[in-house]
Amino acid sequence: MTIADLWTIMPLLLLACGSVLVLILGAIVPGRYGTAIGVAVCAGAALWALQTPPRPLAPTLGVAFTPFARSFLVLFAVTALLSLLLAHDHADRQGLEGEEYPATILFGAFGMGVVASAANFLTLFLGLEALTFAFYILVAYDRNRPASGEAGLKYLLMGAVSAAFVAFGIALLYGATGSLEIGRAVAASAAGGGIALAGWGLLLAGLAFKVSLAPAHLWTPDVYQGGPTPVTAFLAAGSKGAAIALFLLILPPLGEIGPLRAPLWGLALLSMAVGNLAALLQPNVKRMLAYSSVAQMGYVALALLSGGRGYEAAAFYAVAYGVMSLAAFGALASLEQERPLEQVDELRGIGYRRPFQGVVLAVAMFALAGIPPTVGFAGKFAIFFAALRAGETPLAIIGILTAAASAYYYLRVVVNLYMKPAEEAAPGPLPTPAEAVCLGAVTVAILALGVWPGPLFDLVEAILKA
Amino acid sequence: MTSYSILTILILLPLAGCFCLAPVWNRPEWARPLALGIAVAELALAGWVLVAAPGMPPAPGAAAGYFLWEDAAWIERFGIRYLLGMDGISLLMVALTAFTTVVAMLVSWRGITERATLHYFLILLMESGIMGVFLSLDLVLFYLFWEVMLIPMFFLIGIWGHGRRIYSAVKFFLYTLVGSLLMLLAIIGVYLIHGDATGTFTFALPLLAKSPIAHAAAPWLFGAFLLAFAIKFPLFPVHTWLPDAHTDAPTAGSVILAALLLKTGAYGLVRFGYPLFPEAAKGFTPLLYVLAIIGILYASWIAYAQEDMKRMVAYSSVGHMGFVALGIASWGPVALSGSILQMVNHGFTTAALFALVGMLDERAHTREVSAFGGLWGTMPAFSFFFLFFAMASAGLPGLNNFVGEFLILVGVFRITPAAGAIAFLGIVLPLIYTVRLVQEVLFQTERRPLRLPDLTLREGAVLAVLAVIDLYIGVHPKPLLDILKVPVALLTGVAP
Repeated sequence: MTIADLWTIMPLLLLACGSVLVLILGAIVPGRYGTAIGVAVCAGAALWALQTPPRPLAPTLGVAFTPFARSFLVLFAVTALLSLLLAHDHADRQGLEGEEYPATILFGAFGMGVVASAANFLTLFLGLEALTFAFYILVAYDRNRPASGEAGLKYLLMGAVSAAFVAFGIALLYGATGSLEIGRAVAASAAGGGIALAGWGLLLAGLAFKVSLAPAHLWTPDVYQGGPTPVTAFLAAGSKGAAIALFLLILPPLGEIGPLRAPLWGLALLSMAVGNLAALLQPNVKRMLAYSSVAQMGYVALALLSGGRGYEAAAFYAVAYGVMSLAAFGALASLEQERPLEQVDELRGIGYRRPFQGVVLAVAMFALAGIPPTVGFAGKFAIFFAALRAGETPLAIIGILTAAASAYYYLRVVVNLYMKPAEEAAPGPLPTPAEAVCLGAVTVAILALGVWPGPLFDLVEAILKA
Repeated sequence: MTSYSILTILILLPLAGCFCLAPVWNRPEWARPLALGIAVAELALAGWVLVAAPGMPPAPGAAAGYFLWEDAAWIERFGIRYLLGMDGISLLMVALTAFTTVVAMLVSWRGITERATLHYFLILLMESGIMGVFLSLDLVLFYLFWEVMLIPMFFLIGIWGHGRRIYSAVKFFLYTLVGSLLMLLAIIGVYLIHGDATGTFTFALPLLAKSPIAHAAAPWLFGAFLLAFAIKFPLFPVHTWLPDAHTDAPTAGSVILAALLLKTGAYGLVRFGYPLFPEAAKGFTPLLYVLAIIGILYASWIAYAQEDMKRMVAYSSVGHMGFVALGIASWGPVALSGSILQMVNHGFTTAALFALVGMLDERAHTREVSAFGGLWGTMPAFSFFFLFFAMASAGLPGLNNFVGEFLILVGVFRITPAAGAIAFLGIVLPLIYTVRLVQEVLFQTERRPLRLPDLTLREGAVLAVLAVIDLYIGVHPKPLLDILKVPVALLTGVAP
């Protein structure tokens, strides 16, 4: 390890040290610096990652600063930055105190960064656990609400099981191939026989938990509902993005998807069907969005199993789902006053009472439903394009039909926002400046990437080729 | 103005207008004239194009028959282009769109009091989307506009509608979405199959149509396109969203829905469906004939039983669009010109009828046929226009619908006499319910005294313009048919 290596992985170090700094500072001067430092650290990490040219690092580090890692690091740092902005004002309103909150968000972003830049299965596992641990804490952070603690516990138990699956899967792959280096181990696993296959199976099962693919999705609605809403935004945008990045690290070296096709096919089918159908029945808005995320990840699985162009579509969708989730949960967080929003019904007339958040939420719903000109449409287009290209026609048809069904529950939110009379007519409070900046940015991103997705597609193509 | 950017301006002017409304968002008294001004400017532009475009030299790079053409790279990695073109068919549709938007704004001038700015914002947004649908020649671009125009209509019905407005709005949205999502898959399928067969991967219609898809999947792909368009059309049996949407929509919504949105389905079939899959489409002809004829007969029958006047007009639309479908399915030059002309005619006539019912509703707060009677005595101007447009709708010779229906029947007779003969019944049936409607509302003795004021100058002016257009097309359809001659000949491969 050289100084130059440290210089290169500075974005990761910044996030980790920033997290510690916020914690320590909180102990010395309890106050309001946490978010400010966190935002600065995230911005610094993103800028650093942007300006540092990719270069190979000492193998002992277990990380590689590839274009892939660099781009995803920027994405995660920006996601964390926006989540911090959302969380700050929300925490003030809901009486969530303490520097642990921003510190843990930074730590979670660090874990995501490690996942994206991992070159070694062990680093990958550590990054994955770092980010999941951050979320165990964040989800349970609202101590005043029993639901929050319950969600945290549920996530912890499920997460521990999935971690065990992943760890054992990695161990089997190591046993079969004799290497922990991702590229080499994955490439060699094709000749690894039954043990390698079992390793892949366990890995896939564990990762299905992390991305919440059906039937391993059962924690998702409780955790989404129980966690503070900005945490849910970060969870949806960041941790799903990291899990997709993880898939994109381990699947492409495989070349032919071969025996993994069948399980991925099943996961995609089940997720699209179960997620969309369950979301249809949910009166609770965050649970509904949680089931919808199961469905959205089903589309990602469809992209992954299509290979080639599908990997690009999945990477694109990681960004797309990130901005859509930040917009949806961010708008909900901004609407929440002293208590959390529960039912879809509570959004009645909000479109007129609080127009800014209403528009953001409506745009997010149309985007999640895949209506052009939004990034959701561009992403779905790329996914179905790849699926048809790869000959997955039946699954694509099922996917498109479930997508049509999904429009119903997304529309229900819009219907409540604009077409049902409000219980009270007076305009509500305006969004805080931080929320306005954050929500404005993601809404512009949803529309801009929908109208002009070319550059982002070029970028994901470049980073996956490199 | 260079001819290069006219099409983009046609699409973007209403969209830019939407943003112009922002500063006056809470001042409806300013927003209303501003929005109308933008719509009138768009109409002026469309009118200028209508006069000037046929004389323009073809744009460089344009496919045959197109006098305006714009082409730019958009999402290159997928071969998606920003490709716009205007031929005679698009030209008529663009003119109809610009005109109907102004009508829609004028008929809702006083009726919309709540959130008026948002109302005009949505109408302008929809105009932009519909213009895009009629001008796009790239399949993905077309799909984009096709979906974009849904959203404002969804809000128009859901916010200002009456009755079961939310149910109708959601039903409208979901019906269309199911069809169009399958069409999206088919669009990608066309791209892949065509690319594999020819080596040219493109979504551009002119290139795709040069070597039509001859693949085992072609009937499936055409079926997906047909479903999307048939829902919009609406063809029996996927028409059920229409009466609900029409009945519950506000007047401006009904006008735009009837005059424009239904046309996008027929237009899509003419522009994309048949040229992309000529062989597969031929296979579907009997099915289309049957569905169109069922639609014509069934809709007329149901219309007769309606008590709600708006519902009656809505069902009559299903019948009229059945004629359009019949003409398209025969795919002969005469019937096809008739169909396209009939799309324009139906736009004007039905817009007027919905506007009239809306005006009556504004005054009497009911649309039940049985609530009225003897209006001729109290509202002579209204009654005159009501009678005029009802007769136009029923196909009175000398008025516009007659020309379209006549051409369609002549064309269909020439190709499939049996279908033409049965469809002829469809000419007679509307007369029955129209006569009943006119008799009950206008002529019979007053059922209960209603002191309703007659038309205002604004309402009268709108209707008078519509009536003049109806009459003009009725006695002198040649200019419009001339505009259609070249594109129809190119589409069918037969000189009319």
